[in-house]
Amino acid sequence: MSTDARIDGYARALFEIARAEGTLDEVEDELFRFARSYESSDELRNALTDDQIPAAKRQSIVEDLLGGGNATPTTIQLVSMVVGSGRGRDLPAIIDRLVQRAANAKNLEVAEVRSAVELSDDQVERLKAALANAIGKNVNVKVIVDPAVLGGLVATVGDTVIDGTVRTALDQLKSRL
Amino acid sequence: MIGHLIAAAPHEEDPSQTHHWLWPEGYEILFGGLASLMIFALLWWKAGPLLKKGMAARTQRIQDELDGAAGALSSAEAEASKIREAKGDIEAERQRMLADADAQAEALLTDGRARLDAEVADLDAKADADIVSASSRVSDELRGEIGRMAAAAAERVVRSTLDDDTQQRLIEDYIARVGASA
Repeated sequence: MSTDARIDGYARALFEIARAEGTLDEVEDELFRFARSYESSDELRNALTDDQIPAAKRQSIVEDLLGGGNATPTTIQLVSMVVGSGRGRDLPAIIDRLVQRAANAKNLEVAEVRSAVELSDDQVERLKAALANAIGKNVNVKVIVDPAVLGGLVATVGDTVIDGTVRTALDQLKSRL
Repeated sequence: MIGHLIAAAPHEEDPSQTHHWLWPEGYEILFGGLASLMIFALLWWKAGPLLKKGMAARTQRIQDELDGAAGALSSAEAEASKIREAKGDIEAERQRMLADADAQAEALLTDGRARLDAEVADLDAKADADIVSASSRVSDELRGEIGRMAAAAAERVVRSTLDDDTQQRLIEDYIARVGASA
């Protein structure tokens, strides 16, 4: 089985479990955040993909991170399952595929939004409406807090990028200078 | 007395003595002359051809030697002529080689001068280009450094102004701009 088919299989399985549990939105959101944390932390990535660490130990790391009310039990179990099966390296791809599948199920486009600070629920809702108005489709906004953008927002919907970050403005200024 | 005896003695003729202290007797001259003529005639008859032949052979040998000497002289003169001619050729060849060498040296000199001039011109052009390039590069580097410093300064200023209110204003501006861009 190819890697792509395997990723798709895991994503479909996770999606069906979350939908069966009736916590798809929450699980999808938590998984998305976990995937971004996984990508940005070398330590976490190394711990979850190190074959020398026993699967049970890797799963306990996941439970420690997501436990204590940080995520729903379904999310914890799903991530533990993927990490325990030795597919930790594919975790971001599996989760992105799950998010895409969930958005497609709701006839939504996934909008990945990066911001230097957290957005309030009100801001997320208004941003969702603005993006839907801009691209002509309903969107499922996934906010990633990324200090590298310095300020403002950048939204990626499919191949469309709407950039309003201070980082980009500074880069353009550097280029002009 | 003795003298008288001698003087009185009759004078007898000595057959071994002639009548003249120088000339022989007439018959001796006659017979001697005839004998001599006979001997000469015999010699002429018998030895003459041999002598003549010997003389002819000698004359021929001398002539041959003269001819050989003449031939040798002719050969020597021809050889001398050839040598003189060869000497002339050698001289001409020497002159020609000297002329060639002079021409080649002149050509080399001309070519060397031309090449040297071209190289000097190339070096001048390259030096000018290097100076221009270095000047441009330094200018670019200076401009780049100024740009980097200005950008770093701008980033520091921007970062210092990015308080929470500014962040919220940027987010609101973004939402408003995206919403209005339909």
